[in-house]
Amino acid sequence: MPQGAYLRLLLFFLGPAVLVYSLFSIYPLLATIINSLYSRQNDGAYLWEGLGNFRTLLLDPTWSVPFWNALRNNFIFFLIHMCVQNPIGLLLAALLSLPRLRFRATYRTLIFMPTMLSVVVIGFVWQLILSPLWGIARMFLNFFGLGFLFAPWLGVESSALITVSLISVWQFVGIPMILIYTALLAIPDELIDAATVDGLNQFQAFVWVKLPLIWPTIGLVSILTFVNNFNAFDLIYAMKGALAGPNFSTDIMGTLFYRTFFGNQLQLGNPSMGSAIATMMLIVILTGVMVYLFLVQRRIQRYSF
Amino acid sequence: MAEVVIEKLSKSFGSVEVLKDIDLTVGDGAFVVLVGPSGCGKSTLLRSIAGLEDVSGGAITIGGRKVNDLAPAQREIAMVFQSYALYPHMDVAANMGFGLKFAGIPKAEIAARVSEAARILQLEPLLKRRPRELSGGQRQRVAIGRAIVRKPQVFLFDEPLSNLDAALRINTRVEIAKLHKLLAATIVYVTHDQVEAMTLADKIVVMNQGRIEQQGKPLDLYYRPANLFVAGFIGSPAMNFLKGEVVAGGTGLGADGRIAIALPPGATPGMKVTLGIRPEHMSIAVGGGDLHLAATVELVERLGETGFAHLRLASGTVVIAEIRGETGLKTGDRTHVALDPAHLHLFGADGRRLG
Repeated sequence: MPQGAYLRLLLFFLGPAVLVYSLFSIYPLLATIINSLYSRQNDGAYLWEGLGNFRTLLLDPTWSVPFWNALRNNFIFFLIHMCVQNPIGLLLAALLSLPRLRFRATYRTLIFMPTMLSVVVIGFVWQLILSPLWGIARMFLNFFGLGFLFAPWLGVESSALITVSLISVWQFVGIPMILIYTALLAIPDELIDAATVDGLNQFQAFVWVKLPLIWPTIGLVSILTFVNNFNAFDLIYAMKGALAGPNFSTDIMGTLFYRTFFGNQLQLGNPSMGSAIATMMLIVILTGVMVYLFLVQRRIQRYSF
Repeated sequence: MAEVVIEKLSKSFGSVEVLKDIDLTVGDGAFVVLVGPSGCGKSTLLRSIAGLEDVSGGAITIGGRKVNDLAPAQREIAMVFQSYALYPHMDVAANMGFGLKFAGIPKAEIAARVSEAARILQLEPLLKRRPRELSGGQRQRVAIGRAIVRKPQVFLFDEPLSNLDAALRINTRVEIAKLHKLLAATIVYVTHDQVEAMTLADKIVVMNQGRIEQQGKPLDLYYRPANLFVAGFIGSPAMNFLKGEVVAGGTGLGADGRIAIALPPGATPGMKVTLGIRPEHMSIAVGGGDLHLAATVELVERLGETGFAHLRLASGTVVIAEIRGETGLKTGDRTHVALDPAHLHLFGADGRRLG
C-alpha cells in the first residue's frame, strides 16, 4: 500500500477516537494540571506559581486541614467499600452460582436494581428511611424490640461517613456481584467435578479451585472500586450538600474540590486551588492504578486453558 | 484393582429416564468401553459410577463394596475428563498431588507417587509447568497421571481422546492400551469413536436411549450383532439393510427379487425381516447368480487399496459395497453385486437377530 493511502486509512480509522479523546479527556486533563500551576489574581490575570498552590494545599493549615480530612475520609469511604461491598458481592455471586438455586434471575435483577437508580433518588430515599422524625428505620427496629439501637446516624459526626458509605455499598453491591458471577460461570463444570473426585467438598472446591481462578476479576473489581470511590461526589452532595456535614465529617475529595473550584455560600470559587485539588485526586488514583498494574496484576494467574 | 458390578441401575431427571435397568459387570482388570450415540446415557452411566450423579435405583458395587451412598472420593475411583479439567492455577506436580493432599497423605508419599506417575508417563521435565504451557497431548498425560497417583480400584475415562488431533489420538490410544497392561487396571471408558472401542476394549457395551443394547467381545458384536441398532452402529461404513419377507427357501426382497438363503429356525413364510450385510461382504459380480442383485453405480469412493461403491438397487435402496483393487467401475455403470452367504444377518420385525 502506498504511504499516502496508508496514512489516509490510519486517519480514517484512528482520527475520530483521537479527536474525541483529545477534546474531552486529554485536553481537560492537561488544562487542569496547567491551571494548578497558576494563581488567579483579583483582576482576572493568571500568575505563574509553580508548585506554590500545592505547597499551600499541603502545608497551609487553612487548606491542609480540610484536605487531609477529605483524603482520610475518602480512604475510609474506600475501605468500607472494599471490606463490605466486595466481600458481599463475592458471597452473593457464589450463592447465585449454586447449581440448585431457584429464582436465580429474579435475585440477580433485584440485587442489581439499585445500581440502575439515580444517586439522587437513592440519597433521598435513604434520608427518608433514616430520618429520626418519620423514618421507617426507627419503627422497623422498634418492631423487633431493638429500638434502643436507633440513632440519627446521618446527623452524628462519628457515624455519618460510615452510614453514607454503607448506603453507597447497598447501591453498588450489584456490580461486583455481576462481575464475579460472570467469572464463576466461566469456570467449567468438569473442573469442579475433578475437584469433587479429588475429595473436595463444595466449600473447599470454592476456596481452592474457584477462588484462585476469579482473583483477576476480584482484582479488577478492587481497582474499579478504588477509582470510583476517589472520584465519588454525587451521593455525598445529594445527601449532605456541598458542605458535607456534620462538620465536614463526610467531606471527601470530590466535595472538597467542588467547594473550592466553584465556590459555595460565602466561599469564593478558586479555579487554581480547585485544579490543584483535582490534580491531587489524579495523582492518588494514578498511584493506586499503578500499584495494581505493576504489583498485583502481574502476580495474578490468568485462567486459561 | 477390583470388579465393578452394576445391578438394575436406573436414573431419571424429573420424568425423563436417562438410564433404564442397567446390568453390567466389569471384571477385575477388564477394559470395558461404553459406546453409543450422543444422549444415549453412556456419560451419565460413567458419572454414576464415579458418584458425580445420584442414581434413582439399583446398586453399584466396587470391589465388593456397595458405593451408592459414598462420595466420589471414597469410592476409590479416578476419572479422566474430556476437557482434562486440570487446575489452571497449579503446576503439573500440584495438579497430580492435589487430591492426595486432601486425602491426608503425607508429603513425602505424595512426592513419591507423583514422581512415579511422572516417570511412567514421561512427564518428568514438565512437573513445574502450568497446564496452559502444555500441548494437548501433554495435558492428557497429566490428567491420566492425576488418576494414577490416586491408586484407584477403577479408572473412569470420559471421552479422553476427543480433544486431540487425529495423529495424537492414535498415539494416545496405544499409550492407554499399554498403560492398561502395565497397571493391570480395571477401566471403564466412554467414547463415541468405534475405532477406539474396537481396539481398546475387552468388552464393548453398546448403549442406546438409556438401555444396554448389547455387550460382548468386540468381534462378537461385529460378527453377531444382537439387533439392528448394534448392527448399524458398529462398523464403518455401516451395515447395509435390505427390507424383505420370508418366502419358502429364502427371502423375498421385492423388486430386487428373491434370494435363496438358509433360514434360521422360527422364520416362517410371510414374516417381515431385514437382511443385513456389511460392505466388505459384498462384491461386484459379473452377470446374475443366486445371491446376485442388479445395481446401478451411483458413486465410487477410492481410498487407494480399497474403495467403496455406492450402488442403487432395483428397489431404490442404496447399498455400499467394498471394492478392492482397480475395477474400472464408474458412476452410471450397470452391474451386479454378490452377497456373501456366510455373512448375512437376518433381523425380525422387532429388530432382533434371527438365529
